Amino acid sequence: MVGLSLGETHFIQGGIAQDLRCDGRKRLTYRPISVETGVIPQTNGSARVRMGATDVIASVKAELGKPSLLQPDKGKVSIYVDCSSTAEPAFEGRGGDELAAELSNALQRCLLGGKSGAGAGIDLSSLIVVEGKICWDLYIDGLVVSSDGNLLDALGAAIKAALSNTGIPRVQVAAGTSNDEHPEVDVSDEEFLQFDTSRVPVIVTLTKVGRHYIVDATSEEESQMSSAVSISVNRQGHICGITKRGGVGLDPSIILDMISVAKHVSEQLINKLDSEIASAEAEEES
Amino acid sequence: MPKLYKFLSVFRTGAVNAASGSAYAEFGNTKVIVSVFGPRESKKAMMYSDIGRLNCNVSFTTFATPIRGQGSDHKEYCAMLHKALEGAIILETFPKTTVDVFALVLESSGSNSISECVAGDLPVVISCASLALADAGIMMYDIVASVSVSCFNKNLVIDPILEEEIGQDGSLMITCMPSRYEITQLTVTGEWSTTKINEGMQLCLDACAKLAKIMRSCLKEVASDSQE
Amino acid sequence: MGLPNVSEDLSSEVEVDAFKRIFPLRYFERHLAESIRADGRPLGKARETSIFLGAVAFANGSALVKIGSTTMLTAIKMEIMTPSLESPDEGCLDWLLLVGPLMSIDFHMPPICSPIVRPGRPAEASPMVSKQLSNTISSSRMIDLKELSLVSGKAAWMAYLDIYCLDADGALFDAALLSAIAALSHLQIPSIAMNDDGKIVLVSDEDGQKRAQEPVNKEKRKLTLRSIPFSLTCILHKNYILADPTAEEESIMETHVTVVLDTSGQLISLYKPGGPVLAYTSAIQDCAALTRQRVKELNNFLDKANSAMEV
Repeated sequence: MVGLSLGETHFIQGGIAQDLRCDGRKRLTYRPISVETGVIPQTNGSARVRMGATDVIASVKAELGKPSLLQPDKGKVSIYVDCSSTAEPAFEGRGGDELAAELSNALQRCLLGGKSGAGAGIDLSSLIVVEGKICWDLYIDGLVVSSDGNLLDALGAAIKAALSNTGIPRVQVAAGTSNDEHPEVDVSDEEFLQFDTSRVPVIVTLTKVGRHYIVDATSEEESQMSSAVSISVNRQGHICGITKRGGVGLDPSIILDMISVAKHVSEQLINKLDSEIASAEAEEES
Repeated sequence: MPKLYKFLSVFRTGAVNAASGSAYAEFGNTKVIVSVFGPRESKKAMMYSDIGRLNCNVSFTTFATPIRGQGSDHKEYCAMLHKALEGAIILETFPKTTVDVFALVLESSGSNSISECVAGDLPVVISCASLALADAGIMMYDIVASVSVSCFNKNLVIDPILEEEIGQDGSLMITCMPSRYEITQLTVTGEWSTTKINEGMQLCLDACAKLAKIMRSCLKEVASDSQE
Repeated sequence: MGLPNVSEDLSSEVEVDAFKRIFPLRYFERHLAESIRADGRPLGKARETSIFLGAVAFANGSALVKIGSTTMLTAIKMEIMTPSLESPDEGCLDWLLLVGPLMSIDFHMPPICSPIVRPGRPAEASPMVSKQLSNTISSSRMIDLKELSLVSGKAAWMAYLDIYCLDADGALFDAALLSAIAALSHLQIPSIAMNDDGKIVLVSDEDGQKRAQEPVNKEKRKLTLRSIPFSLTCILHKNYILADPTAEEESIMETHVTVVLDTSGQLISLYKPGGPVLAYTSAIQDCAALTRQRVKELNNFLDKANSAMEV
């Protein structure tokens, strides 16, 4: 936990009320975002995202697996987050486990969409190789390296970047075996398919401090929050998931207001993120 | 055609004598018992706290689902239940102590395995837990009611049943304190337009208000019975 | 010995509740001297008992039993298993927790049932009750193992008995055993058929077609219960014998004796797990006599519950 004196808390709260935060930002301004892709060569795709002192890494690993019986025409995606015990003093030992579980659940809710697949950031049916028999299983792992607030947004951005960095090997199904129980496949190590990441939503967390709410809160600001709402929005401006954190109740009209603010903010964030990802990719290739 | 309202509910307090307060709820196919213990001494290792602590646990019986399960705890539900309730309880009234809220899902609304059932059971667990807290005499700002809706090809369905849950495009769960008109917990999955969210939230809030009325009358009944 | 005298003096002055909290043992003993229990029962009388059958939707047999406020919910699920080679005729084996090669019996005490059970730490009493239940049900020879066989050497039923304690207020074993046997008496073995590949499949009610494919047993059937075990737990305190104790009584007076008899009056098991009171054989005989009465009573309840189901 962040230890703050009474004076400091007043300063933070007062700054937010006057739309001038401690680091000079306005309420709805993000810290500078830096994106680096391809940071872990063993994976199919990876990215590192830094927002101020918050530093997270996401990696995507693809493995061939069997689709579930209930949804034979879809691949599977799982998201796990790990909070490094060095990221914050409170994470020492198993202290980060609870937060890690909360973040994993929130990311799954925000990125994977409804049961029928509506609103999913990843098109699960594109992961299928042979219907009912072989599909790609995506294992998305997030790692919090250093924590200074707003972990969910940073992880969401890192996963988006890692997915656009991901290449899935082209798979050839041996002719004539596609009806067998275990069809023979040939995994190419040269040809890779890129993911369509245009539908992957970004997550905007609005943290309510006093009567106002801010984006991209630092951990000092988060310690003053009464509640926070994380809203994931895709490029079409549709809401793909909402998670509320913090126990204090909110008036429904405030939540609706937050949603419209989040939609507005997300447009800028998506554009910013896309250009960062593009330049990171260009840098990696050169 | 899916039913729009399925308020076939049973609420009963005082289901477990050994507990300080308890409630049993039956809602659709879901059957839940919640016991509240305390306020009682916090665990030894806990630091001093000038407000009370809330400890939540949700577990399932092995026969809660059609396929025999392991009857284990459900970590995600524990966290969600905690968040849904903590905003409603006046923790300042029992400093240094802990209130334990334990829920056992006797029968789940019927997904094949516990990890798959999302929206069906949790609202019932939350509503039942708030009733048990009231039964135990724990001070609360208001009763907490919880309802979920599913979105299905542009139709909103309140309190979805299993078949509806599998094919849904999105789900929305709201936990609120109706008389304060405050939302304590909100989760949304799937793709929603702003107007749909508005509509869904309003539907949930109205349903929560109705549900709270049922819960309140259940508490009143018990109170008037004990006075006689 | 200043303290007891003080309490004598105080007893006329302080309120009953306060007296009970400060001198619980004395409080109970004063009741016993008048041949009555704290809840108004005579010493040898068990609490009000009720049995509801068919409480759980997803189970093949289930029962909810209440003895006083002690509540037990049992559900039995039948699964088809391929038995091991050594005993191809006797149902399936799950080595760890069973009553021989027949069924798995688990006794659960979830945290909702009692203030002493916390999540993550199983209650002290639960493994013991689990073990006693397994022993009792297997040694009573209440069920013929062969009834759980389907096709010799190919498939057999595995019965999973899960007993949940929903409210713990003493005499846990008695209530658990009663709910287990009530669920067994309610159990309906589902009908099955053999499909074209020689695999055994369940025949669902709606599915009329599968019935045509060589049903192995055509109708749902019940198990034949031969001799049903019933139990009674008594507390021994000084010369008193208290039948069917509450949790409060159990916590204060620690010596208890559990007698399990079957319907024909034969002794199946007897437990006296230590305790400060050493019992004369006459006391054990008295316990057995109380149990004999209780067996008749419980057998009646069970018959009533079953006939109510048939109507």
